[in-house]
Amino acid sequence: MRYITFALSKGRLTELSIELLEGAGIDCTELKEDSRKLILSDDKNKIRFFLAKPADVPVYVEYGAADIGIVGKDTLIEEGRDLYEVLDLGFARCRMCVAGPKELEGKMDSVSITRVATKYPEVARTYFRHKRRESVEIIKLSGSVELAPLVGLSEVIVDLVETGRTLKENGLVVLDTISEISARMVVNRVSMKMENQRITKIIEGIRKQL
Amino acid sequence: MKRWNIYTPEGVQDILFESCRQKRLLESKIRDAFRLNGYKEVETPTIEYYDTFGGERGLINQESMYKFCDSKGRLLVLRPDLTVPVARVAATRLRDEPFPIKCCYIGNTFSFDELGGGRQNEFTQAGCELLGINSAEADAEVVAMAIETVKAAGIDEFQIDIGQVGFFKGLMAESGLSEDEIEEVRELIDQKNLVGVEQVMDRHKVRTPLKRIILDLPKLFGSKDILHKINPEDIGKEATKAIENIKEVLEILEDRNLAQYVSLDLGMVQSLNYYTGIVFRGYTYGVGFPILSGGRYDKLVEKFGRECEATGFSLGINMVMMALERQKKLVKQEPEGVFISYEKNARKIAGDYLRQLIQNNCTAELDLMQMETEESKKYARLRGFSKFVCIRNDGSREEIML
Repeated sequence: MRYITFALSKGRLTELSIELLEGAGIDCTELKEDSRKLILSDDKNKIRFFLAKPADVPVYVEYGAADIGIVGKDTLIEEGRDLYEVLDLGFARCRMCVAGPKELEGKMDSVSITRVATKYPEVARTYFRHKRRESVEIIKLSGSVELAPLVGLSEVIVDLVETGRTLKENGLVVLDTISEISARMVVNRVSMKMENQRITKIIEGIRKQL
Repeated sequence: MKRWNIYTPEGVQDILFESCRQKRLLESKIRDAFRLNGYKEVETPTIEYYDTFGGERGLINQESMYKFCDSKGRLLVLRPDLTVPVARVAATRLRDEPFPIKCCYIGNTFSFDELGGGRQNEFTQAGCELLGINSAEADAEVVAMAIETVKAAGIDEFQIDIGQVGFFKGLMAESGLSEDEIEEVRELIDQKNLVGVEQVMDRHKVRTPLKRIILDLPKLFGSKDILHKINPEDIGKEATKAIENIKEVLEILEDRNLAQYVSLDLGMVQSLNYYTGIVFRGYTYGVGFPILSGGRYDKLVEKFGRECEATGFSLGINMVMMALERQKKLVKQEPEGVFISYEKNARKIAGDYLRQLIQNNCTAELDLMQMETEESKKYARLRGFSKFVCIRNDGSREEIML
């Protein structure tokens, strides 16, 4: 039997996934150990895991270096990879939003927006091109995106909003919701076919717990 | 300024010696399979007018094509595909040819889309097109040909997934969704995104049995048993016809003893603007992408001026090479041939011996650099010769197996 390989996103998503994986009968002992090994395994079920940066998970899965991945929807839409998105795992919920100063509230359709700061340039570009039929200048930032409208770097931002507290404390509001975000399970298109029975069993094992 | 002179452009590569030999060998096996099955090879130009692929017909995204101009300012492309040129030929040069026409090709294609995971911007495609028939027989023939081709390539663990775009189109026509919504559903089904499909369908009033099948579409793949889950009364005329078509194709493939390679995927809904009936894809271990894809495209040739139903497939030679390598199925070249080292006065004897070997279809090479014996042997071994022959001034011959 071949090994089925999972690519997991480093950090919180993995911690939250372990319970679901164990519930589906996968032995995560090695995964829970604080180890420096890069590839961890459940040899009885012939399953391997590795941890990767979230943005890399869809890449590993698309290219078939991993059969299954667990990753946030935000990364999936930003990366736009050709994958099967088979399960919404329901945790790490938030929203991908356009946000900006309170003055713009309700006026999104009338004012023209020229600069957008974001950690998600593809998401922002697609949104403004398709939904608003506008070409905007996308300014890619690596963090604290809320700062951009405050210091005049951009008119609006595209970012993840969980509770909305950071926005509120800085006088910003959500202007539009682009997409609902949560952790997803993705599968390589070929693996789904070549290892259909085993992968379907894993999917069903997890689905039952949701 | 020659900053780039030692590099190849992104997405293209040199293929040398052993890999090149393997690739040619693979191509010749595939070419033989095509020929034995009655497909006649055609060669079309590497460059075509942009209008053949793009423009209003929009068969292929403009951003995925390599474009440049001819001397009169007309837009040209490096062909992104070989089916479209064959369709053009079928409608023009072959317009008086009786049907069916069985064409095949092996050639390089170019696309910006295909990069990463073993894909290059320049890649070799081998394919067959069966023009002028629309029947389950023809559909099955092309699927069977795809199976034969993969087998001829030396891959024995593989799977061909069959779908029928008429099934999805039929369900959508019954559902009453708008064009934009249909596209949204299509994308979600293509990604097997059950939750997404559910969210879209919840926004609409669609009668329950039909809705259930649309929601199930991402899961409708696997053995032919999935067909039992579908009640013809729920799905409308077009979708029912599509199912009948699939059943017939499967029966024919069973008759040809090929059923074990085939499974179904009714949620296969890519490239709907191109395909009109049966669609299929081939998968194997070791590569993350399909190794082949094909299907029925009855409206394509018509765009070039002749009504002609057609079906075909193309196989990615580079993908198959990668699969063979990962599956450890590439057969290494056994040492063969004779390397001839000779002393100065034996030049004529060595030359005659060389010619004689070559005439007998044996690879042979002279030691042009007149190396020392040990060095010469080392070179011969490195180049994969099986025999080393040293010819002395007096004409005596020393032979060593390497």
